[in-house]
Amino acid sequence: MSVPVAPTPGSAPGAPPGAAAPGGGAPGAPPGARPPLLSRGRWDGVTTALRSPAVLALAPLTLIIAVFFLVPIFGMTTIAFAVQTDDGGTRIGLDNFLDLSSHSRAMRNSVLISVVGSLIAAVAGSITAFCIAQIKSERLDSVVAVFSSVLANDGGAPLAFSFIVTLGNTGIIFGLLGLEAIGFTLYSWQGLVAMYQYFLIPTMIMVTLPTFVGLRKEWTEANTSLGGSRLTFWRRVGIPIATPALLGGWILLFGSAFATYASAAVLIGSGGFPLIPLSIDSLLGSGLGAGGQSTAMALGVTMVVIAVVVLFFFNRLQRRSARWLQ
Amino acid sequence: MASVNWRYSNWLPIVAVALYVTVPVLCSIYYAVFPGGRFSLSAYSVITDDASLAAAATRTLLIAALTIVTLVATLVPAVLAVHLWAPRLRPVLEILCTLPLVVPPIALAAGVVALLRWGAQQGRGSLASEVSQFIQHPDLPLILVGTYVVLCLPFTFRSIDAGLRTIPLKAMVEGSSSLGSSVWGTVWRVVIPNIRGPVLFSVFFATAVCLGEFAIAATLNRETIPVWLFTVSNSNFRASIAIAVLLNLSTWILLLVATLSAGRFSALGKAKRKAAALDEATTLEKEAH
Repeated sequence: MSVPVAPTPGSAPGAPPGAAAPGGGAPGAPPGARPPLLSRGRWDGVTTALRSPAVLALAPLTLIIAVFFLVPIFGMTTIAFAVQTDDGGTRIGLDNFLDLSSHSRAMRNSVLISVVGSLIAAVAGSITAFCIAQIKSERLDSVVAVFSSVLANDGGAPLAFSFIVTLGNTGIIFGLLGLEAIGFTLYSWQGLVAMYQYFLIPTMIMVTLPTFVGLRKEWTEANTSLGGSRLTFWRRVGIPIATPALLGGWILLFGSAFATYASAAVLIGSGGFPLIPLSIDSLLGSGLGAGGQSTAMALGVTMVVIAVVVLFFFNRLQRRSARWLQ
Repeated sequence: MASVNWRYSNWLPIVAVALYVTVPVLCSIYYAVFPGGRFSLSAYSVITDDASLAAAATRTLLIAALTIVTLVATLVPAVLAVHLWAPRLRPVLEILCTLPLVVPPIALAAGVVALLRWGAQQGRGSLASEVSQFIQHPDLPLILVGTYVVLCLPFTFRSIDAGLRTIPLKAMVEGSSSLGSSVWGTVWRVVIPNIRGPVLFSVFFATAVCLGEFAIAATLNRETIPVWLFTVSNSNFRASIAIAVLLNLSTWILLLVATLSAGRFSALGKAKRKAAALDEATTLEKEAH
């Protein structure tokens, strides 16, 4: 909470450079020694800095981030790691996370949906992005970039409604294609995977299109002039450069599918097919008793950890790929 | 011949994806306005008939308006401050603004519920309990405004940060203050007009987020339009589809306008157009001489 505010006095130009730095303040004090905590010299710089425009401008946003983001996340983490002891006190422990074994079905479902959904979308999305890049039209590239970024943000409640109408048990396309005959049902993992493609494929296109467009023409030419075939180009140049981006895109899709809540909640509801985000919601609704809240918080922390890991690897892989595409 | 086929085969996956994206929308529209195969807008009578929809819409728009104002009024000064006066804080602000990306909305909802319950447990009449009551007021849930601002931050920060990086900010502010303008006067009259694109992007993006967000509103039981859709789908499915189509299309349009305005008004694009215009003017002048 105090992270963004604390360094402000030191770097705010509103205060003279010497006075602002902690330790340089009080006149007469030996250089390097900090003046006593309660002396005016120690706080002069700070009060000046607090009135500087930088602090005034940063304070409101910092407050909002603190109240509506950092404190809730901190609270969630505290509850997740707090364990009631027998004598009524609390200690830090992983018990709430061990409780999660009762949610193993939800966890398995979530992982299954996310792995299958992201794999299909990664393959379909990268093939599409590849073809778009092959067409070599700048106009098409920019249109696709805009539309895919719009669709990548989809995944809300309306998406589920449109899929119910399209592929639900009385859906228009469902009847048209006779999907009942092959045992397809929207209210299962198949339906979730199909629905997630709607925003996962555009996400993949959005992430990988710059890579495919960036594979330079000179490289193909160099390859040809050195006697390489199309196949050698892809085997020795194209695929090695594109792989990190494709892998990164796939990981991002996995995280995106794992975190999706709204459309899944509308489609599946609270019964039938448990998923981690849906379990969090039903546990929160179950009231204060029965330790439901602590388990919900532990699940929430698990989701955050997964998202952090996903974004970490996505960023590393993107950077590896971007190195070649400057 | 073979090469021609190869060229057209490139369009196959693109057309397939485009179909996959448009068919559900077309089906929803068909379902909404062709009940029983005949055109009718009867499903939309819910707009006038159902007072709960009007209430949900008013609530959503109010939340959206407050979110936009809060977002722009807090984010723009903060990004400006790190660009102008505290460049060392820029990475800190960037991390803080990007962090919400790693917290799925449902996890943030869990945290918010924990916080509100903690406030409520502090006993009747205590400050924490009063604040908790106040910010989840059913008519104007300020808690949603705050969390929606947070959800918008990762994208809007990047846009405004990039916008400020492309303009000669320091020179503008110094020039303006040497002409006697105050800092905030400069910001209002010089800097904001130059980052109109990113600011517009933030406005449209925030509106789209407010119209579409479901996880937090549903968890807190505050009936915004998406939550209303979910509730009403049990009793009047066709109406929920009809409204869902409208909501979906307006979200898309908002995001489209957001993306386009970020590019259209960008300082770079503007500079290019200006340069072209200037070029033309000077050649005309030369020809005249």
